[in-house]
Amino acid sequence: MRKYLCIYKSEVMSNMQYVLNIIISMITYIVLIFILFNLWNYIYQDENQIINGYTKNQMIWYVIITEIIWSATAGRKLCQKICDDVRGGNIAYAMNKPYSYISYILFSHLGETTIKSIVGTIIGMFLGILFLGEFPNISVQGVIIVIISSILAVIINTLLITSIGLFSFFIEDAHPIYWLYSKIILILGTMFPIEFFYGILGRVISFSPIYVTCYGPAKLFVDFSYKNAICILMAQIIYLFIAWAICYALYRKGVKKLNVNGG
Amino acid sequence: MKVIAVKNLNKRFKVKVKEKGLKGSLKSIFKPKIQVVEAVKDISFEVEEGEVIAFIGPNGAGKSTTIKMLTGILYPDEGSINVLEINPTKQRKKLAYEIGTVFGQKEQLWMHLTVYDNFKFFGAIYDISEKETEKRIEELIELFDLQNIINTPVRNLSLGQRIRCEIAASLIHRPKILFLDEPTIGLDPVVKESIRKLIKKMNKEYHTTVFLTSHDISDIEKLCKRVIIINNGRIVMDDSMSNLKYHYMDKKVIQVKLRNKVDFSNVKGIKVLKEKENNYQIEIDTKETDLTKILKLINPENIVDINISNIPLEEIISQIYRKE
Repeated sequence: MRKYLCIYKSEVMSNMQYVLNIIISMITYIVLIFILFNLWNYIYQDENQIINGYTKNQMIWYVIITEIIWSATAGRKLCQKICDDVRGGNIAYAMNKPYSYISYILFSHLGETTIKSIVGTIIGMFLGILFLGEFPNISVQGVIIVIISSILAVIINTLLITSIGLFSFFIEDAHPIYWLYSKIILILGTMFPIEFFYGILGRVISFSPIYVTCYGPAKLFVDFSYKNAICILMAQIIYLFIAWAICYALYRKGVKKLNVNGG
Repeated sequence: MKVIAVKNLNKRFKVKVKEKGLKGSLKSIFKPKIQVVEAVKDISFEVEEGEVIAFIGPNGAGKSTTIKMLTGILYPDEGSINVLEINPTKQRKKLAYEIGTVFGQKEQLWMHLTVYDNFKFFGAIYDISEKETEKRIEELIELFDLQNIINTPVRNLSLGQRIRCEIAASLIHRPKILFLDEPTIGLDPVVKESIRKLIKKMNKEYHTTVFLTSHDISDIEKLCKRVIIINNGRIVMDDSMSNLKYHYMDKKVIQVKLRNKVDFSNVKGIKVLKEKENNYQIEIDTKETDLTKILKLINPENIVDINISNIPLEEIISQIYRKE
């Protein structure tokens, strides 16, 4: 485990060189929150109106949390890195080191995510207080559980995106799959909570990765209950194992097909 | 003691083939053609502990594919590989603790970390204790003369300094075999020389077996006692450096400036390489004629200037490639 913590630490140290870049990259995040704030302000004509179980403030805080998780995960960059590693042959140089490539990717990506999450959380909380003037009604224990759930969400998301990246072993380019995944997450989980979708679609989403990667932590933040917390954390643990198993299976099958460019 | 044993190794790649033009592109979508390329064909060799061996060949000969199979990155189609009594295909991670790799064209160091932090990172990767890592870093600083750059971020190093650090980092776990894939590529002659000295020193001090590939013949000439030449996936020569030179030393090159012209056209064993006014560059095959005869033909009193040399090793190796 020491080696993986060292990978994590090295990535954090490396990313500290780019704090200013990370802050600048958050401009998109700020603009998006501002647009969504105005959109929900328009939809909710009355402060006390409830739509699908959410007040206006809960809705906006929901979007702030899901956006923090999604932008901190930086999935496109991760998918790009794995695709490049596989297609360009760089994976070969990670393979002859005594660590697991999947764990290496996970811990190094978490290192990158850490700084982004901290910056994103500070900006998100500031925007929330600025626009809404109040914090959701949540206890300190609740906040700790939300943080744990958010970390699990980022880990699961990282593993799922890693799986998509590993498809490069079998197809020329895994980006179209990532594009599809990111758009589904954006529409069905980041911008709208599951309760906004009825019938079969709602049920499918509640069993999909959307439930554990964005809906779960955000729902707990805006409407905390221990019953929900247990459900969401259990689902996240199950998904963590599933995502890990998918990554591992794809990697094991993929390396046997590896055809490193230039030999 | 044998540290590498390779027997009847084969590796094939499947490569997509596309006919030219738009029609070809469309055709390849519906009826893709796959061509099988035999990258490595039935090669066998052994390497003794402490050897510095050159594994050379032209581009696409199968060198890197072989190295990648030896380090467990690629899976062979047939044949057996034994590196330090480990099967790289089945126990890649175990083997990783025993070998070091430096690929001249790829960086393994973290660009934004200092050289020291990189060494600490590699220490942790190879499960070396903090105290032991510190001790080894001190050793490497001294051996590779890194005092002035140890706290510099890697991105600020020159190419030569970076390669020096790459080699040093690959030695932190004291590997028994070091695979060097073109370690001096892109370096200037002075830095190349210092890298060669380091490799020699490392081989002497740690008794590390070195498996080297390079297109730079000077690397091979100055470092290796044994050469394996691979071409089109097959081993075409496996011999000592001295034998290689000895077998081809029957050819000499004479550069001579004469007072009067001499006709070399009908002399057996002579090939005129260049001729300009009274200056000649000729190649002599000493198996067919000897130097005394040539000197008599030229007439010593006719000579203004003369230089007799062996064929450069580079030329010898090119000849071997061409024969194949």
